[in-house]
Amino acid sequence: MADTILELRHVTRTIGDKTIIEDFSAEFKKGQIYTIIGPSGAGKSSLLRMLNRLDDPSSGEILFHSIDIRELPPTRLRCKIGYLFQTPHMFEGTVRDNFFYAECARTEEIAGRLADLVQIDHALIDADTEPLSVGQKQRVALGRLLATNPEIVLLDEPTSALDPSITEAIEATVRGIVERTGLTVIWVTHHPDQALRMGGETLLMVQGRLIESGPSREVINNPSTPLGKRYQSRELR
Amino acid sequence: MNGVGNGPTFVQVGLALVLVVIAIVVSRYWKLNLTKDMSLGTVRSFIQLVAVGYALEFIFNIDSWWLIVLTVLVMMTTGAYTSIERVKRLDRTFPIAWLAIASGSVVTIAVMLLVDIIPFTARYVIPLGGMIISNSMNASALAMARLTSDLRGNTLAIETSLALGKPWREASRGFQRDAATTGMTSTLNFMKTVGIVALPGAMTGMILGGADPLEAVLLQIIVAYMLLSATTITSIVAVELTVRRFFTPHHQLRRIATAPVTSKS
Repeated sequence: MADTILELRHVTRTIGDKTIIEDFSAEFKKGQIYTIIGPSGAGKSSLLRMLNRLDDPSSGEILFHSIDIRELPPTRLRCKIGYLFQTPHMFEGTVRDNFFYAECARTEEIAGRLADLVQIDHALIDADTEPLSVGQKQRVALGRLLATNPEIVLLDEPTSALDPSITEAIEATVRGIVERTGLTVIWVTHHPDQALRMGGETLLMVQGRLIESGPSREVINNPSTPLGKRYQSRELR
Repeated sequence: MNGVGNGPTFVQVGLALVLVVIAIVVSRYWKLNLTKDMSLGTVRSFIQLVAVGYALEFIFNIDSWWLIVLTVLVMMTTGAYTSIERVKRLDRTFPIAWLAIASGSVVTIAVMLLVDIIPFTARYVIPLGGMIISNSMNASALAMARLTSDLRGNTLAIETSLALGKPWREASRGFQRDAATTGMTSTLNFMKTVGIVALPGAMTGMILGGADPLEAVLLQIIVAYMLLSATTITSIVAVELTVRRFFTPHHQLRRIATAPVTSKS
């Protein structure tokens, strides 16, 4: 389909004799929000890591704009498909230094715009990142990612260490960015509620496999598969 | 009595045991519980050094090129084995340590031979080679241990950098620099304090052996320069070969180091 930006075909990843991801196929469309939910150990983060080539599949392929990502230089691919870790790591220096850390980051003129996008006070742009709260650091990390002008942003449980109010503020920030920029977001979360709040589509993973996918409300409230129902009833969490 | 000026005898060595007895008496009085270690150390150092003395006399007398090369190779190999003891959690470290020590030592010895600072004789190459190799051994051990522990302890920083499109070399540059510096630190400190805090062993030995102090100083300066060259090359080669173990050609941090980041799912 024309607006498919990322496609996974029969992706499997094994480490030793352990299968982490098994025969995973999915399509992601431009400008949409996707959430990946599932119990602990389902392979959600492992899947996300492969999309930005921090790891490679053992078999199957991942296509970005119909091109196998192994054919693109990883350093370029990662500017187009950004990754936000659960814990934000700040590089030495100011918020501005962090915004423009990546070589593929756009010019410094946009520091103010980036700060607006991730809702960081302009007064903090030239301040050291050291004293910032975890929530502020996560916003800076998101801004640093957006500075590379990505087409897809991968978020690996970015709010798991944050208070509920800060979590919801960051969710609103990300929804706002998607509306304004047409970015594709793939968000891994432990919380079905968060997936419902984010809207868009949800993929449910159990034991490395894709169990079901579709509009978030349906996957979470009316699962059609036995495993989906067990997840809904909290038997599988 | 003549003292040791013309070279000590076994009788004088025996008399020096008085010093060991003093040390043992003092340590027993303070209940340091070290009598066994001290006695063993005294015997071991005597046997090892006498054996080396005879071995060196044998090598110096034959003085053939192959024996010099063989001795240097044995010293480098032993040095490499000793230096990897501290880098236990990384596989196949011996080739890295051996190559690092060999490049630092061979380049340094070769330059000294080529510019005619020393002649290619066992009397010069082996003792100086020993100093170079033992310093390279420490440099390689320290640089490898520091790099391995830094790369393992900073997976989030490194992967954050990689995920933003930085090449692996840049994502690990700070850690490479710190590790190479760690390997060179003891030589740099030695150069700063030499002659002020202590007179180095080689110089002391020459002066005790009756050499002109200025001559001893000149040799010591050469020794300092040669150690700087050897530890610098060794540290850089050790870091370069070790860091490559941690990354794939696709700018990915290898599994040996990513466990903390991927443990959750």
